[in-house]
Amino acid sequence: MAFRIRRPFRTLLFAALACGAAFAAWTPLQAAVRPPKLQYTISTLPNGLRVILSEDHSTPIVHVSVWYHVGSKNERPGRTGFAHFFEHMMFKGSKNVEPESHTSIIASVGGRSNAYTTEDETVFWQTLPAQYLPLALWMEADRMATLRISDADFKREREVVKEERRMRIENQPYGRLSEIIYDHTFTSHPYKHPTIGSMADLEAATVDDVREFHNTFYVPENAVVTIVGDFDTAQATQIVNQYFARVPKAARPVPRDIPQEAPQTKERRVVVEEAWPLPAVVVAYHVIYDGHPDSYPLHITSKILSDGQSARIPRELVYNKRIALTAFGQGNITEQPNLFYAVAIVQPGQKPEAAEQALIAEFEKLKREPVTATELQRAKNQFARDYIVGRESNQDKALHLAHAAVIHNDITTADGEFDIFTGITTADVQRVAKTYFNETNRTVLYILPKAGGSR
Amino acid sequence: MRIWIPGVALSLSVAVLVSSVATAQNRPNSFPDWPSERPPLPLPAREVKFPPYEIRTLANGMRVLTILHHEQPVVTMRLIVGAGAAEDPQGKAGLSNLLGNLLDQGTATRSAQEIADQIDTIGGALGTGSGSDLSFANIVVMKDSFGTGMELLADVVRNPKFDAEEIDRQKQQAMSTLQVNATDPDYVASALIDRLIYGFHPYGLPGNGTPETLAGITRDDLVAFHKRYFVPNNMILAVVGDTTTDEAFGMVEKVFGPWPRAELTIPKPIDPPPPTRRIVVVDKPDAVQTEIRVGQLAISRNHKDYLAWDLAVKILGGEGANRLHRVLRSQRGLTYGASAETQAMKQAGDYVAETDTRTDTTGEVLRLTVDEFARLQRNRVYEPELKDAQAFLAGTFPLTIETPNEIATQVLNAVFYDLPLSDLATFRERVQAVTPDDIQRVSQAYIRPDRLSIVLVGNARAFVQQLRAVGFTDFEVIPIENLDLMAGGLQRTGRASVR
Repeated sequence: MAFRIRRPFRTLLFAALACGAAFAAWTPLQAAVRPPKLQYTISTLPNGLRVILSEDHSTPIVHVSVWYHVGSKNERPGRTGFAHFFEHMMFKGSKNVEPESHTSIIASVGGRSNAYTTEDETVFWQTLPAQYLPLALWMEADRMATLRISDADFKREREVVKEERRMRIENQPYGRLSEIIYDHTFTSHPYKHPTIGSMADLEAATVDDVREFHNTFYVPENAVVTIVGDFDTAQATQIVNQYFARVPKAARPVPRDIPQEAPQTKERRVVVEEAWPLPAVVVAYHVIYDGHPDSYPLHITSKILSDGQSARIPRELVYNKRIALTAFGQGNITEQPNLFYAVAIVQPGQKPEAAEQALIAEFEKLKREPVTATELQRAKNQFARDYIVGRESNQDKALHLAHAAVIHNDITTADGEFDIFTGITTADVQRVAKTYFNETNRTVLYILPKAGGSR
Repeated sequence: MRIWIPGVALSLSVAVLVSSVATAQNRPNSFPDWPSERPPLPLPAREVKFPPYEIRTLANGMRVLTILHHEQPVVTMRLIVGAGAAEDPQGKAGLSNLLGNLLDQGTATRSAQEIADQIDTIGGALGTGSGSDLSFANIVVMKDSFGTGMELLADVVRNPKFDAEEIDRQKQQAMSTLQVNATDPDYVASALIDRLIYGFHPYGLPGNGTPETLAGITRDDLVAFHKRYFVPNNMILAVVGDTTTDEAFGMVEKVFGPWPRAELTIPKPIDPPPPTRRIVVVDKPDAVQTEIRVGQLAISRNHKDYLAWDLAVKILGGEGANRLHRVLRSQRGLTYGASAETQAMKQAGDYVAETDTRTDTTGEVLRLTVDEFARLQRNRVYEPELKDAQAFLAGTFPLTIETPNEIATQVLNAVFYDLPLSDLATFRERVQAVTPDDIQRVSQAYIRPDRLSIVLVGNARAFVQQLRAVGFTDFEVIPIENLDLMAGGLQRTGRASVR
């Protein structure tokens, strides 16, 4: 029951600090070994629910996920954090399932279950021994149709979410980095607000808000059920129909009116203070949405700048110049236009100004001269590695299928994007750099240790 | 409430029963159009067996494991060396960690940049490092680069250069990382509880060192550690993925076979001190939450009580059961997460409960947590509760063999800790054989509620009165900037607290 932190921080910053084991991999594309395509079926029930089925009989387990196409970008002003808070409320019981027992019932058959919320979606999942597929589907349908909401549960859970915010965001060094970046780069689009929300807004939420949210967004036409694992498609289809076809169709269409961000017209420069041990410097540019043709060269650019010790930013800022303890630059490419940003945590004795110059120099270089053919090939090989290693488990496969269906509204992208990436050229990479990495579209943030704070 | 699912008796505690009835009365509507029904019956179950694997020992003593898997064209190699932070020489805490970070930073024939270029260009990944009992190097490559990957792996573990400039660079990284960690309440609490439980036993010392110990580590120290422990008869290698037995063992023999066996002496460890009650409060005045750890010395991984003891701790705070989660989160909303875990290693083991809560509920949470330790030690476990924990642990077995790397982890653990390999296949039967008497016996043997080590990291001034109010009167308070895990008194000398 979590919200997901925007990926770059968790994976790069903290993995670097923790020096753990690295796992991931793959190959030269010249080898012409293409990863196997996902095999699946997709269908839509009369109430609008989409269902994706993908058989994999290698282990007698099954993964079931339910994606609701609602995230923190669907929140109204004054109710930030609500999508994630609501995700917690989905564990408070339904007509046939007692409060707080969803997780323990799944556990009692040897299964695991949890949920998470992002800007764009809310995902509930369980992985369990294959014979319990009916149980998982029955429970998910029960809470889609008949969520119980009591005032006491609501208030108790609100305290839990506040603790989650304190734990993940407020009480650890660099925990607020993401929310500081987004607060200063966005003005009107709800990506401005963190998925966990603010304490004040959490406090202001009411039980009526919870009911309204369930009625509006937790409806069949706004959901995708994905099942991957050891099952028979005909039998699974019958079970899905039995439990989900009876969920009533939504009374009104799901609202999609999200305020859009006006184009940025001049550079923003911001200096703030936090009680962090070392300064952080951020250089951020507004970019495009997931699935836009420019998004693919931007993904390649992320790899060229940051993937591996030989990538440009770690090699230059961490290895050669030794300006930064850790540094990276990546696109956070989501359903609606988001950011491409670079972060450097500045070494003691080094100046934030030097980190800013070094980061901006990397963006300027991408505009000035094409990346080398070797760099492009390396990025494609790394992409292929991620593609393959990211499709090992049933949960991984379900994630790619559901993401394609929900965010791209086109399930064929789950496999089709491989060919798009293979075709990217050095000219594409240079073109998108020139399109987006411009001074007027840039925000430069210095986050300096608070004077008199923790050293 | 009692839900019946064939083959699995399931019931929740009386406390949850009471709260769910109360909730039901508040329900705004009862969804008359939706059927009232029981959970559906399961489908017929398929048999689950531990997947095949093969282990051979090379003439030089290196043990090699293969697990074949052909769904994706990828091969992973995981090499474990049987020495880690526990083998850091006295006063050199952080040595094996530094060494682990230096393995891929240059060999006799490849510079750090060349290694990075090579692995990144083939779209592979290489990771090196160390833990308490081991050091490791892992590499993942596409099937076509299997030979390149194996050769690179052998080079980094066998021929690290320990170049002066690279040592300096990695020391600087390690020092800065310490500086960040020193302000992270979660990190500080976890490091300090180990120190309280194990004293000056190596498991109690920080694996990534302190500024003082890091400064004292020389190139000669690194070379000596590497020469002593990085020998084939102290290594286990797993080759996992899209290859064949012949290809895998052939390649391993070619690359590692010529490496000669060497004399290996592992120093005899000192015993950890017996459990003693000690409560340390680390003061971080700007904290908005208190990080809490409660723990004690227990048993090593290959102890005969391990399975029953692990189940007992799962009842206290593990997946599938978790009294702490129920008491602290579900019933009271005092925390986002509460858990307890056995940490069982080669020489010894411990168990630690961890949670965090807002400053003004610190005393209440500590009291409730410690009371759960006492309750598990005092009262025989309720049979359905044990059944639930067993059902989860045994039932989850097929989930633990989904990917080839998960399978490899289980076999590597068995080999590394000298456990019978036959245990892998009998896991479910052994879990189901544990009785309430077993749980009571191990709880009474290993839980000493009057001798717990306790750490609280947070805004001390705001919560120490709460501790006294709930009966914890004897504690030390240390300002976070004065904490020194290498000092007997846990504080830097000459900078005593004047609060």
